[in-house]
Order: sequence, then structure tokens, then C-alpha cells
Amino acid sequence: MAKLTIPAEEYMYPGHAACPGCGAALAMRLLLKGLGPRTIVSMPACCWTVIATPYPTTALATGLLDHPIEATGASISGLRAAADAMGLKDLEIVGFAGDGGTADIGLQSLSGMLERRTDAIYVMYDNEAYMNTGIQRSGSTPAGAWTTTTPVAGASHGKPEPKKDVMGIVRAHHPVYAATLNPSFPEDFLRKVERARGLHGPRFLHVFSPCPPGWKYSSERTIELGRLATDSGIFPLYEVGEDGVLSITRRGGALKPVAEYFRAQGRFAHLTEAEIAAIQAAARANWERLLRLATPPPA
Amino acid sequence: MLEVRFHGRGGQGAVLASELLAHAAFLDGKWPQSFPFFGVERRGAPVTAYVRIDDRPIALRTSITVPDVVVVLETGLLRTVPVTDGLREGGLLLVNSALPPELIEVPIPVRTATVDATGIARARGLGSPTMPIVNTAMLGALARATGVVSLDAVRGSIVHVPAKPRENREAAADGFAAVRSGEGRHLPVARRAERAPPLPEGPIAAVPSSTLVTSSWRTLRPVIRLEKCTRCNFCWKYCPDDAIELDPSGFPVIREAHCKGCGICAAECPPKTIEMVLDAGARGGWGVR
Ligand SMILES: Cc1ncc(C[n+]2csc(CCOP(=O)(O)OP(=O)(O)O)c2C)c(N)n1
Ligand code: SF4
Ligand code: SF4
Ligand code: SF4
Ligand SMILES: [Mg+2]
Repeated sequence: MAKLTIPAEEYMYPGHAACPGCGAALAMRLLLKGLGPRTIVSMPACCWTVIATPYPTTALATGLLDHPIEATGASISGLRAAADAMGLKDLEIVGFAGDGGTADIGLQSLSGMLERRTDAIYVMYDNEAYMNTGIQRSGSTPAGAWTTTTPVAGASHGKPEPKKDVMGIVRAHHPVYAATLNPSFPEDFLRKVERARGLHGPRFLHVFSPCPPGWKYSSERTIELGRLATDSGIFPLYEVGEDGVLSITRRGGALKPVAEYFRAQGRFAHLTEAEIAAIQAAARANWERLLRLATPPPA
Repeated sequence: MLEVRFHGRGGQGAVLASELLAHAAFLDGKWPQSFPFFGVERRGAPVTAYVRIDDRPIALRTSITVPDVVVVLETGLLRTVPVTDGLREGGLLLVNSALPPELIEVPIPVRTATVDATGIARARGLGSPTMPIVNTAMLGALARATGVVSLDAVRGSIVHVPAKPRENREAAADGFAAVRSGEGRHLPVARRAERAPPLPEGPIAAVPSSTLVTSSWRTLRPVIRLEKCTRCNFCWKYCPDDAIELDPSGFPVIREAHCKGCGICAAECPPKTIEMVLDAGARGGWGVR
């Protein structure tokens, strides 16, 4: 019998309301394994508020607070202040927000929390669109992706603009611990959650969250897609310590071609070979940029 | 005026079915109206959609509480959603089922029709194995069982479907040919979704969601052949629904009440010892156990 490589304890209950195969659901399950029960999760409007709260139940064995979509950063700053005032020293305060609620609507609130140096963990689960309201584009939607507001019809050919670099924005608030996580790599995921948990001050986790209905693929491929995204350089796994040192946490030799990742998803079905080649070039350039930033530099 | 209420699961095409039926009625020269109920449209979760059809413009804009026809895209919903609520006397219940109407359990005496729309959708290659798209076969059956629209109009409406218009038109014709009418089996005390308990004092939601059942969302379920299982626990690690537990010796056990049939465990099992098989029947609803 193989040893468990991640904690056995579960703090997310089954029976929640996520779609079958939801990457964000697995992300929460893994996150709470690393954080434990003395946690308050503060959530804005997003898929996860619906997932967590089929009335009259909750999917979390931890505390759960629901707040307006733009207020995640403010909410966790307030929760930490309240915990301090009450002398509650052992609480993990966690903001858990979508990409729309983070990269767009809640960006000022995130920046405020980072700049105030709130002692809390901010998690952005990134399904690359406003999924809960029906797949509208967000700042975090990648270039070329079909969404209901970047249709593939007439002159419109998916989203023209590239994905916003939220990790870059967060790092500009240094010192801050910031990491990218992917539920397809549970051990790396848990190691980063545990590292974040051991630190104080603002911490930011950018979590890749494949979404079968929003990305238009069959639900059993969620883990495979996550692996392809990282191994083709679309979603590299790395972390930046409070000392500013950037380390890539999964290298795995040469990058895979991005085509396999793109061809697996209906939201990219319209892309031409030339467009995929351009995405390939951008992914490679981004990967090389990370390699240059990484310390120690690769041999 | 004729009022139709569709009950389906997210992803089966209930909302599109309501739009196609309205379009078909329009092609027949009628004044139709269609709109969905605004709720949680998760793949597999119960959804409702409405259609009104009349010979003149319809001013009414409310949801339909006293339907003439109720269309149920999946048998499992009969147990978990009060689909026959408000169904008018002399109305019709049309159910996607391979069973004859006489074997469909209904809470009120009601004219019942059945059609194996899932079988038709699979045969025509519509949707995925985990989520066959049954709406067009159901519309064909509806045309025959009610006469409210013609089969030609139904086929004519199937132009703006997301994929496979030809196969969808064939599925409508198959549904038209295969529908059976009769009387449902009247069971006066029907199992129904229970009402949620009153708002508790203190935290708003203190009941674990594990008291809910989500397995009725699935069409496939995983079956593990333990002989080939290496106890690597990958299936456990990757399940987004925490629907797999490990027994004391490390063998995986599916929590049948919670597995949504996403297929991830089968896809990720290294020795491929998990097989996704057709789920014979829903195991209760997304309601309180
Ligand atoms: C100020 C405000 N604008 C719009 C909404 C409606 N709304 C609720 S959830 C949601 C989608 C949020 O998207 P994201 O943060 O990416 O989370 P996801 O649903 O994709 O998980 C929106 C737009 C809202 N609740 N508040
Ligand atoms: S829409 Fe996507 S992110 Fe939202 S619950 Fe469904 S799979 Fe998860
Ligand atoms: S199919 Fe497997 S991975 Fe998916 S919910 Fe069921 S047990 Fe979990
Ligand atoms: S993934 Fe397959 S081999 Fe591994 S524990 Fe599960 S069933 Fe057994
Ligand atoms: Mg999102």
C-alpha cells in the first residue's frame, strides 16, 4: 500500500454544488488539507459561494464568511483585525476569490491588503472567466479564448487581449510570498500551502482551476489538462519567497508543445495553426523570462 | 393557450429544448414564448424551463405553475423534484425512459408517455457518454404525444443547435416514432424532495453538505476492479468531490451517495482498473437525505 503523499484529513465535505470534475473544488479540498480546521475562509460572489452553500448546508468544516465581490482583501484585513482584538492567535485567515473577483473587480482591495501587510493568505482560483454568471471574459481570460462576451462569430475571434499578469502585480508589493499552484500536482500544491501557512504577513496563491463547462471539455480530463498546462509552459509552477527569490518548482525537461493543451478544449477550437504558433512563441518567451528570473539560474 | 414545463439536469439541454419547441410552434404559425427558471445551472443539477404556445400574442410573463404538459428529461427527477406539481387535469406527463408508461411511478393519476430518448441520443452520437443530449428526441416524442407542433416544425427548428443538426433531426424523428402513451403507475404517497428545515439560530449554514446526495447528477458511475488495484491512492487524491475513501488496508471505496461520475478517477488510475459504467438508476436526489 502506497504511503499518503498529502494529508488524510478532509475539511471540505462532499455533497457540494460544484459541477462534476470541477478543478476549483479539488483546489479547495487540497487547500484545506494544508490549512486545517482553525481557518476562516472569506469568499466573494463567485462559483465557490454557490458550491459551498446549498442551503441550509455548508461544504466547509472551517469558518465561512460571504462578502461582496470587490471586498476580499478588505474582508480578510478586517477578519485579522477582529481576531487580533479577540486574542485569537491560532486562526488562519484566508480569502478565496475567483479570477474576476481578483484580477478585475477586487484588485484595489487585494492591493490594499498586500500594502497594509495584512497577515492572511489570499487565494485566487483561476478558471479564466466569470463562470458563475455564465462564462464572461475576465482580465485573466487568455488570448484567443471563446467566452460568451468574446464570441467566435463575424469579426470576433475569441478574446483579443492577453491574460493579465496578476502574479506580477502581486510581486510589485514585495515583500510577499507568492506562488502558483495546480491541483494536478497535489504534493507541490500542499508543500506551497504549508510553506505559506508557516509565514506571516500577506501571502498570495494563484491556483489553476480547469472548468469543464466553461472551457468546454469532458469532465474526466481536468487533471490531464492541468498537467498539460504546466508542462507546456502555459501555467508554470513557481514561488517567490519574501526575500524575492524566485524558484521554479517543476521543470521536467523540455516544454511540451502547447497544441495538445489547446486542442483539448472547445473554447480554443476556432484557433488556426498560425494563432497556436503565436501562443507557442509567447509561452516559450514567458518560460525563458521565468528561467532568467529564477535563482539559482539553471545550469 | 398551452403551457409546457421542462424538467432536466444542467447539460441535458432542457433550456435549449424549450427554445426549440417555441421556434417549432412559431414555424407552425403560433405565438410562442420560452424562458428558463433562473437557478443553479450546474451540469447534472435540476433545471426547469417553460414554454407557452397560443394562437395569439401572449401577455402573461410569469413562470408556469399549472402546466398542461410536463416533460421530464430524466427518470431520476421523478423521485427528487415534484415534477407533477400543478399538472392540469387531463394533462400529460412525458418521461425519458425505456420503460412502458405503466411502469412509471407517478404521484397523481395522469396520462403518461415514455420514450427512450437516452438510447436514441446514444445511437445518434449526441452528447457525450457521461451526458447524452436527449432534448431533440424528447421534442419528437412531444410532437407525437400532444400534437401541439408538427414533426416537420420540430425538424425545422433544429437548425441553430450547437452541433450535429442532421443527427438531431433524425433523433427527433426517432422520438416521434418510438413514443408510447398510457397511464402511469399511481403511487399516492410519492417520495419527494423534503422541504429544507427552518433557518437555524446561530450560523446560517451549520449542516455539512455531506447530508446531501449528489450521485443523481451522474449518468456514469465508477466501478473498481480491486484485483488489479495497486493501492496507489491516485483516485482518492484527485477526486473533486471527496467521494472516495480509503479502507484500512488502503483500498479505495466509492461513496455512492456523493460521486458525481466525473470520470477523473478512471482517467487517472495508472493500471486502468476503474471502469465508468452506465448508472442504472439515480440514487436519490440533491435534497436532504
Ligand atoms: C459588484 C458585483 N458585480 C457583479 C456581480 C455578479 N457576479 C456574481 S459571481 C460573478 C462571477 C465572478 O467571477 P470570478 O470571480 O472569476 O469567479 P467564478 O464565478 O469564475 O468562479 C459575478 C460577475 C456581483 N456579485 N457583484
Ligand atoms: S462552472 Fe466551472 S468553476 Fe464553476 S462550479 Fe462548474 S466547473 Fe467549477
Ligand atoms: S467519478 Fe471518481 S473522481 Fe469523479 S466524483 Fe466519482 S469518485 Fe470522484
Ligand atoms: S488509482 Fe487505481 S490502482 Fe490506484 S488506488 Fe485507485 S483504483 Fe487502485
Ligand atoms: Mg472565474
